[in-house]
Amino acid sequence: MLTGKSVAARLAPVLACMGLLALWQIAALALNSDSFPTALEAMRAIPSILGDKEALINILASLRRMAVGFLAAVAFSIPLGLLMGRSASVASFCNPLLMVIYPVPKAALMPIIMLWLGVGDLSKTLVIFLGVSLPVIYHSFEGAKAVEEKMLWSGAAMGLSSVERMIRIVLPASLPEILTGCRTGLVLALITMVTSEMIARQSGAGNILFNALDMGQYDTVFAMIIIIGAMGIALDVAFESMRQRLVSWSEPQFDVPLSFS
Amino acid sequence: MTAAGSRSEAPLERTPASKSAPAMIEIDRVSQVFRTSSRKDHLALSDISLAIEDGAFVSILGPSGCGKSTLLYIVGGFVQPTMGTAKMKGKTIAGPGPDRGPVFQEFALFPWKSVLGNVMYGLRQQGVRPAEAEAQSRALLDMVGLKGFEHFYPKELSGGMKQRVALARTLAYHPEVLLMDEPFGALDAHTRTRLQNDLLKIWERDRKTVLFVTHSVDEAVFLSDKVVMMTRSPGRVRQVVDIDLPRPRRRTELLLDPRYQKYVVNIERMFDEPDEDELRC
Ligand SMILES: Nc1ncnc2c1ncn2[C@@H]1O[C@H](COP(=O)(O)OP(=O)(O)OP(=O)(O)O)[C@@H](O)[C@H]1O
Ligand SMILES: [Mg+2]
Repeated sequence: MLTGKSVAARLAPVLACMGLLALWQIAALALNSDSFPTALEAMRAIPSILGDKEALINILASLRRMAVGFLAAVAFSIPLGLLMGRSASVASFCNPLLMVIYPVPKAALMPIIMLWLGVGDLSKTLVIFLGVSLPVIYHSFEGAKAVEEKMLWSGAAMGLSSVERMIRIVLPASLPEILTGCRTGLVLALITMVTSEMIARQSGAGNILFNALDMGQYDTVFAMIIIIGAMGIALDVAFESMRQRLVSWSEPQFDVPLSFS
Repeated sequence: MTAAGSRSEAPLERTPASKSAPAMIEIDRVSQVFRTSSRKDHLALSDISLAIEDGAFVSILGPSGCGKSTLLYIVGGFVQPTMGTAKMKGKTIAGPGPDRGPVFQEFALFPWKSVLGNVMYGLRQQGVRPAEAEAQSRALLDMVGLKGFEHFYPKELSGGMKQRVALARTLAYHPEVLLMDEPFGALDAHTRTRLQNDLLKIWERDRKTVLFVTHSVDEAVFLSDKVVMMTRSPGRVRQVVDIDLPRPRRRTELLLDPRYQKYVVNIERMFDEPDEDELRC
């Protein structure tokens, strides 16, 4: 049964979005500038973008690169992070490397990567991979490091080998932390996706946006920002609801929802 | 006379590592040094020797920090002693194994598994079919008073309930030796008494070898064949007291038994007196 409080909690994010659009509308009307279309104008441009086959193919290509980069990064980073968390020698080897890579904006590597690998899918996917990897490695590492030793001992006493303990104890025990890293990684995947297309202007959602900017089609620019933003929110909501289902065993029960789900 | 009763009349070994009957667990001149974060060596256990016979219930009693848990970890194979050896059935203990079941002071339940999932874990690992493992686990949970909580997760349990799940989880896979680290420490007096009785019942039935760490003199005397008293840190064996009380033991009867009272009072007195080493200092 829905109580008044939970209805309010569910409506809150919708109201926040509407408030933001209203502010935008008022500000745009007040400024009355060509390069700042109103919210309504921007939204009116959305159907024509989504109805355009060319644009749709571009957006789907972006999403595909993002998915490939994200999944490859997760598949690589979780095992590495877990190993680092459980083995001091792996950690002391990898930590300095990661410390050097960490502060470098991954998009800044784009020109070099383009030089080596061209402007195609490979370069862009690689940048997404790099952007997603670090938070996932870091969170998997922290999660694995925090696994209670007695839990591993209990497993060892039941006859689990060290590989089995890694997969059947360290992995599930660190899952909440790992998924927190993946959620950050997902947002970073979207950001690096757009940035990479901004640098390697060839195809993709980012390319549509910047082409429109070059041609002064400001309503299309803002419409693309809304579309990309909406994709980000939708991905985050979907991921968050999956995350909550997977790790409900670890969550304290909050009264205030922490996301849009 | 019951088997249990006649058993306690058999003379219990005082001298460690005696060569007569091969002991289930044999701890031979074990010392444990820990390197602390401040880079200082800390002697946690000093020259411990102890023989535990097959089917014996042995309690370890000693002040906090004297190395009781450490000793249990060494027998469990989780910690390798700095000096000396620990053997099980004559074989040096090299690592953990399902023949020795630990119940840790910190419970160490698997938080992503339900209560039932935790208890079934060891059985499933041994290849027992799910239906069979579930039936056995449910029976155990019933015994420790957790019927109806099978699908709760550890975070939804009280401290005492977690402790009971930990106990059931270890009992489930039938280890030959139980290593229990203050398993009833977090329980209220009522549940504690109930579980002590249940543990005794299981023990009298299965005759597992039990190494039982506790702070409570009362509990040690009630449960054990033998009470190992340890000194303050660094832990040494101070004295081994054989508890010569008939079994099966009833708590209500024992409390009135002058022999029981004498054991408790004597052990408490001994702890109050400074031991020889402290006098020497
Ligand atoms: N991993 C470790 N590193 C350094 N010192 C340790 C470590 N484990 C235990 N010690 C030290 O060894 C001593 C014995 O610890 P232990 O946990 O065995 O005591 P205990 O008798 O079980 O105490 P309690 O009754 O409070 O549980 C303590 O002084 C403790 O500081
Ligand atoms: Mg202890």
